[in-house]
Amino acid sequence: MSIAALGMEGGGDGFVAPDASIFWEPVIGSGATAITRPVILLVISAALVAWFLLATTKRRALVPGKGQMMTESVYGLVRNSIAKDIIGSHDFMRFVPLLFTMFLLILVNNLFGVIPPFNYPTMSRIGFPVALALTVWVIFHIVGMKKHGFIGYWKSLVPSGLPKPMIPAIFVLELITDLFTRPVTLGLRLFGNMFAGHILMALFISGGWYMLQAGGILPVAGVVTWAFAIIMTLFELLVEFLQAYVFTLLSALYIAGAVADSH
Amino acid sequence: MTGNIAILGYGLSAIGPGIGVGLIFAAYINGVARQPEARGMLQPIAFLGMAITEALAIFGIALAFVFKV
Amino acid sequence: MHMLTIPAAGGETDGGFWATAAPIIPHPIEFFFSLAVFAILFWVVAKKVVPRLEQVYAERSAAIEGGMARAEEAQAEAKAALESYNAQLQDARGEGNKIREDARAQGAQIVAEMRAQAQAEAARIVDTAQKQIEAERQSAVVSLRTEVGRLSTDLASRIVGESLQDEVRQKGIVERFLAELEAGDIRPERVGGDL
Repeated sequence: MSIAALGMEGGGDGFVAPDASIFWEPVIGSGATAITRPVILLVISAALVAWFLLATTKRRALVPGKGQMMTESVYGLVRNSIAKDIIGSHDFMRFVPLLFTMFLLILVNNLFGVIPPFNYPTMSRIGFPVALALTVWVIFHIVGMKKHGFIGYWKSLVPSGLPKPMIPAIFVLELITDLFTRPVTLGLRLFGNMFAGHILMALFISGGWYMLQAGGILPVAGVVTWAFAIIMTLFELLVEFLQAYVFTLLSALYIAGAVADSH
Repeated sequence: MTGNIAILGYGLSAIGPGIGVGLIFAAYINGVARQPEARGMLQPIAFLGMAITEALAIFGIALAFVFKV
Repeated sequence: MHMLTIPAAGGETDGGFWATAAPIIPHPIEFFFSLAVFAILFWVVAKKVVPRLEQVYAERSAAIEGGMARAEEAQAEAKAALESYNAQLQDARGEGNKIREDARAQGAQIVAEMRAQAQAEAARIVDTAQKQIEAERQSAVVSLRTEVGRLSTDLASRIVGESLQDEVRQKGIVERFLAELEAGDIRPERVGGDL
């Protein structure tokens, strides 16, 4: 993508809205094997998270400092209000590391969307959320099968106490939900929110820039547009946190459904 | 005027889930307001319902990219 | 043109297929990096961070339980102190009540004594007065009787013309007359009615 190319498309002078191609930023190599900028951001985010967690839990003070307090409050949120409340106090501890990692990785990568100098929500590239959703999908199937046995797991998809003729229909529906809808929506929800939010912000900022450079009364509208861009940025912050929370919450829900005693 | 008609399709597919998600959370808020101690029980149900309802809108955006003109 | 999938002018040189591909096609490197990075971070969290945090949780809950025990002890102490204070207060209140009761009884006694004394005094005074009055009356009666006797005899002797003094004295006429008068036996008679 280049500004010149975009400019030509709009007929020389007009404004061309940013499109999906703004997300393609290869750094090393090209094509399918390129190391792209979001990959580097992901590695940076993971390193940051790992460093922060290890640094703040090193001293393990009974009365926590600022860093430990932060870590503990996020951990408490994931441990108590997501894992414990949803999976149940019996065997939630097995899944706390998974959910905690998931939440932090997604949250930090989402926040990269509004934090300079990163300004790129990693999860707006579908490869990342799909990989995470796939991980969750594999895990909740495995723990479900471990708990109920291979046949028992598929049987447990159908709620007990249904009239006989309805069982096949419900089974097919549950199968589609279980095998297809859940992982796909889990990944795409995160991707779609990040993608749309980022493209919206790009649109506001580039549109405001375009109007500022134009003549007449348009620069006033450009200033208003940039003000909206700031409001959208704050809104994005909320959405980024919320999506990380929803992703983790739904992962916990799916795992809880798989390990529940009676489906 | 130029553009992708798939975006219209996505807009249409988002109407139903939008209303549905609104209904789910309206019911959830109502329930919690009436019985605050039931929050823990209602929250997973509300989010599960949201996930299922929102699936249609998410399929909409996916298909808007897949079936491009 | 398509808003979401613009084939940029210099398409091939500018990133090729991946620059313009539909955004829902996962890029393989990104996909695998995501898995790898997640796995590494998960390993770090599961092996190091969560056990540490759980240890802090356990220690803190232990500390909180110890603190609770201490707090309970302190509460018990405070309760005991409050109870003894209350008991003292109760004692003091009872004593005060008793004192007040005593004072009231004493006051009533004093008042009763005073009243009795006053009544006795009053009775004595009345008694003395009555006795005096009685004595005076007696003496008045005695002197009156003498006087009346003398006067009437004088009168009678003057009317009769001779002294009845001795006779009266001898016969006790006046006495008898007065006695009759007191008894109500005397009837008014027309003295010299047929004169």
